Amino acid sequence: MKLNKYIVFLCLMIFANTTLLYAQTDTTQKISLQLSNATYQELIKNIESNTEFHFFYDDTLLRNKTFTINIEKVAINQALALLFNPLNIYFNIDKDGHIFLSKDPLLNLMLPDNYFTGKPYNKPVLNNVNYNEPDENINAQEALTDKNLYIIGEKNQSSGNIINMAGYIKDAKNGEPIAGASIYIDKPRIGVTSDQNGYYSISLPRGKHILHVQSLGIRDINRQILLYSDGKMNIEGIGSIMTLKNVIISAQKLSNVRGSIMGVQKLDIKTVKQIPVVFGEADILRAVTTLPGVKTVGEASTGLNVRGGAADQNLILFNDATIYNPSHFFGMFSSFNPELINNVELYKSSIPANFGGRLSSVLDINSREGNKKEFTGSAGIGLLTSRVNIEGPIEKDKSSFILGGRSTYSNWLFNLLPDQYKNSKADFYDLNLLINNQINKNNTIYFTGYISNDHFNLNSDTAYGYGNKNISLKWKHIFTNKFNSLFTAGWDNYSYQINSQKLPISAYQLGFGINQNYFKAHFVYNMSSKHNLDFGLNSLYYNLSPGTYEPLGNKSLVVKDVVSNEQAIENALYATDHYTINSKLKLDAGVRVSMYSALGPNAINTYPSGSPRTEDNIVKTIQYPSGGIIKTYGGPEFRIGLRYVINETMSLKAGYNSQRQYIHSLSNTTAMAPTDIWKLSDPNIKPQMGDQISFGIYKNLKSNTIETSLEFYYKNMENYLDYKSGAKLVMNHHIETDVMGTQGKAYGAEFLIKKIAGKFNGWLSYTWSRTLLRMNDPTAGAIINKGAYYPSNYDKPHDFTLIANYKFNHRFSMSFNTNYSTGRPITLPIGVFSYGGSLRTLYADRNAYRIPDYFRTDFSMNIEGNHKINQLTHNSWSIGVYNLTGQKNPYSIYYVSEKGAVNGYKLSIFGAAIPYINLNIRFK
Amino acid sequence: MKNYITYLLLLSFSFGCKEKYVSPVVSPATGYLVVEGVINSGAGETNITLSRTSKLNSQAILFETGAKVAVQSEDNSAIPLKEISNGHFLGTNLNLNTAKKYRLSIITKDGKTYQSDFSSVKNNPVIDSVNWRREGRDVQLYVNTHDPNNNTKYYQWEYAETWEIHSYYLSSLKYKVGTSSKGATTYSAVYNDSSTYGPDMTKYFCWKTDPSTTIMTGTTSNLASDVINLPLINIPADSWKLNILYSVNVKQYSLSQGRYEFLQRIKKNTEGTGSVFDAQPSELNGNIHCTSNPNEPVIGYVDVCPVQEKRIFINRKSLPDWNYNQSCLEQEIPNVSDSIAIKALFLLPTYPNTDPMTGRIISFFAAPPECVDCKLKGSSSKPSFWP
Repeated sequence: MKLNKYIVFLCLMIFANTTLLYAQTDTTQKISLQLSNATYQELIKNIESNTEFHFFYDDTLLRNKTFTINIEKVAINQALALLFNPLNIYFNIDKDGHIFLSKDPLLNLMLPDNYFTGKPYNKPVLNNVNYNEPDENINAQEALTDKNLYIIGEKNQSSGNIINMAGYIKDAKNGEPIAGASIYIDKPRIGVTSDQNGYYSISLPRGKHILHVQSLGIRDINRQILLYSDGKMNIEGIGSIMTLKNVIISAQKLSNVRGSIMGVQKLDIKTVKQIPVVFGEADILRAVTTLPGVKTVGEASTGLNVRGGAADQNLILFNDATIYNPSHFFGMFSSFNPELINNVELYKSSIPANFGGRLSSVLDINSREGNKKEFTGSAGIGLLTSRVNIEGPIEKDKSSFILGGRSTYSNWLFNLLPDQYKNSKADFYDLNLLINNQINKNNTIYFTGYISNDHFNLNSDTAYGYGNKNISLKWKHIFTNKFNSLFTAGWDNYSYQINSQKLPISAYQLGFGINQNYFKAHFVYNMSSKHNLDFGLNSLYYNLSPGTYEPLGNKSLVVKDVVSNEQAIENALYATDHYTINSKLKLDAGVRVSMYSALGPNAINTYPSGSPRTEDNIVKTIQYPSGGIIKTYGGPEFRIGLRYVINETMSLKAGYNSQRQYIHSLSNTTAMAPTDIWKLSDPNIKPQMGDQISFGIYKNLKSNTIETSLEFYYKNMENYLDYKSGAKLVMNHHIETDVMGTQGKAYGAEFLIKKIAGKFNGWLSYTWSRTLLRMNDPTAGAIINKGAYYPSNYDKPHDFTLIANYKFNHRFSMSFNTNYSTGRPITLPIGVFSYGGSLRTLYADRNAYRIPDYFRTDFSMNIEGNHKINQLTHNSWSIGVYNLTGQKNPYSIYYVSEKGAVNGYKLSIFGAAIPYINLNIRFK
Repeated sequence: MKNYITYLLLLSFSFGCKEKYVSPVVSPATGYLVVEGVINSGAGETNITLSRTSKLNSQAILFETGAKVAVQSEDNSAIPLKEISNGHFLGTNLNLNTAKKYRLSIITKDGKTYQSDFSSVKNNPVIDSVNWRREGRDVQLYVNTHDPNNNTKYYQWEYAETWEIHSYYLSSLKYKVGTSSKGATTYSAVYNDSSTYGPDMTKYFCWKTDPSTTIMTGTTSNLASDVINLPLINIPADSWKLNILYSVNVKQYSLSQGRYEFLQRIKKNTEGTGSVFDAQPSELNGNIHCTSNPNEPVIGYVDVCPVQEKRIFINRKSLPDWNYNQSCLEQEIPNVSDSIAIKALFLLPTYPNTDPMTGRIISFFAAPPECVDCKLKGSSSKPSFWP
């Protein structure tokens, strides 16, 4: 009976008005207790008789337990923590001095605040909710669910049998939205995912349900709801109790099986930070490369190759801004500050229709939102970089900001690298400013500003500089519960400069730049419980400066040369229906129609059809006026995904995806270099096209704590741009003569087993895949490898990764990472000959050989300082060893002519065990 | 503090490494014809070298002997070149007509025919100067050229460095090897020249000549005027090259754009560093074709231009702080067969200690061979151009 009374009471309390919730009882009231071998009943009697507080609890909770305590004038909440913490009993104090004891974290959301700060509970659990009295006849469900019943809508208001509810999923601690959370009910199986801003909208049958919310970063929420009519419910999730900021214990336990999107991988920043990396710099892109289907050419290169795609075929978005060069320091680090990132999603198979313009993948990087409740900050000191972040509310609970920056002092590193890096210099920085403001419950705006910059010279007097600049503004507007929208506008810039001043008469500066302006409108319409629509339009205006070559200094005789700017506009309309056909079958059918037009002013060369494109072959050059349409390409792209649930823990998925890409990067280096140029499609350079079919089996084991999946794919690529032998890519006024369209195919199988919960967690992935290219068009000039398929630079058939983390306690954890892959293909000389006073190498077929296989093991330990709440700073250390076995993994194999002879060398960049240490400081 | 300690720890070793690599791949026997050289349209020598590509691990040059090589004109006239040594063909003072086009024609001894494309005679301005200056403690040589007509644009240079070598010690002695009555080998130090007792100057004065081993090209195609000022040779501080007298002869060729790009490709293929941004290797397609089998690869690009040369000298006197240091030590050895056999067979004798009464060599001084005999490093015949 006590229990019943207590549920009713709780509900009442939740439904109370916000203002009432501000404290009336002083929970910092001091008490003194001297008891030895006492029972808890005695204790409670003692407290109740000496103070205003009253306890509510289940007798069985405290039966047969004794304790000894001797405290003098300790705040009641601290005293209670001392008493009940060892028993794993939660307590909670309300405004009237009622103390609730429970085995479960009742009122999920109140606990952490209370627990830590000792302040009275002063925050409503639910915002903007239409509350009603609970139905008295409804009994509490079993213990695994939240014991409260939430009633949505008016009982007497009839709004049909399908009811819509919507709201935000937020982190209770700091008010940050939780993106990508699964919100679903089991019977019938209906589910949605929260968007980037934590917003969800779900249509459910009228009546009582258990609503499950699962996401990385929060505990699972199981909430009883009773739906009468359309309404709103915001849900706040709690992270782990012992950490200071968003720590993750559980994950998307069922989304693996339930979601209809295939080939999507999500990493949250906590996971990223656990993975040991060189020099201990938590690195998002490095973490992504541990996922199945993602490869890189080498250790010191950030370009990703996703399912056989080239590095330029990945759309890298940071809060919707396109990042053209995501790396610092020759590609050794990614240019994203890990302290500001919330999560990373990689779409490698079913790419949602709202993304387009790249062939192989979308890497969607989402930042955190600043703390809306208080000012905090963090600083990190590493061997190579230091970083400082400050965040806090602009207007409490409504708007917040984060400002973060990183810089380096890494020049000393060059002394440790191979000779190729000696006499080099490098410095870089990146800065982020993120602001969000919830204007009212239907309108929120988000601002992102990002700058990254690198300067280096690589063992020569030639100086390089490159950087990204991005600004984006998003406006989320909720029309109705069922219909919401997201408008984004922004500007992206990527540029690089090269200059050399050693020889005054030929001193020069070379510049390259990409500018793009975009506008995106995205709408989500929750039509019915069976149909969820999203649709929208993207508009993107490109303006490229392909090259400006200028004299530097007044002695320079360099003639200014400018490759004329290229302009183009890419528009796309898209729509996707997320159609729940029945409880087992779900279809995502999307179409995206993209239209691309290359715009004047520009001069375009025409070549006779059927003969090689050479400079001598130019028939005529057509001059197009400003704004004139030079050439239009376009067509539909299909994004189809199908899921069939076999049983609770197993499903099958299939997908078909087609893509078009209108901007190409041109490179003749193995890795993606910062000085690669980008080229827009024009009459001579066709857009790249690709399509992919994929199939997967998903199975969860051990009550969803172990996820397994097996995916297969086959992919085709057309018009991928490759360079001709001896191509000149920089400052080329007729670049079409130096490149050729290549055809590619990629196929493979990816196996993943992931343990997502428990002290021991991590994953093991194995990929078998091939990526083959073919250039057999004789009109393009010399054909490669006699027109046969040859492996691409990143064709590594076997790839095995194991990531294992073990958490000993709240303050100490260890991580272990091991990686094996087949060596990448290289072109080895097949012979030598004498020329120019030296032996020289003779090369033949491209990529006919491979470098030795790759193997690496890393280890790291994370040590948290103590968790006393009242100290000003909280420290944590991460200590580790990269390449524990000191394996001399070859980065490259190359042959040089030295003193008349030809010598082959194997170069390892990180060819020894590299210890590192990092200190992180968080402050308030 | 902890950071600081780790920092030091890290500095104590290097984690990158470069190792010799021997390809496990057995390379095929290719045997493609390689044609190197330029047709010198002016006075002077035209040098053409024929060789074959060989296996990667062989590291040997296979010269193509017995071929018939000729310079052919558009009007079918031909000037044969003479094979002066294995695979080396020479023509002198061709003095070609600059209005005509020329090509190289080759018939190998197995009967295959090869031809280069016809090329017009390119203009090649004279070298204005080869000068040098100190950069740090190094000596850096520059080549300076300009074309008043602004149309040469592409250049290549080759050079041959020659420097004088003096041995550290003068030597007036040599070993005499004999046989004892018991049949054992005996050693003694005797005078080189028993009449003058003077030193053997052929071991003291030598000259060494090294040809260039890198491909040096330059272009003014992106400059407002055809002016070249390029670093050509770097002589590291205190190098032995500048210990006495140094000379370099620079040859300049003008290039067609095709040959320039061909050389750039060879350079990139073989002079890269294996670093992050190296271009990938590419195939070498020149302007020489096998006419009897069009599919057979041939390596080479032959152009026609007059060859310009310039020789300069650098005297040690103009480098007062040059400090070439050869570490040589000599030791005294008794002129006794056993002592020589044990201590001095890997040394060379320098000068004697004689008995003032008899003139007999009681003992002598000996030093490592490279300190005594300069012929181990160069040639004792003085080059004709040496002052």
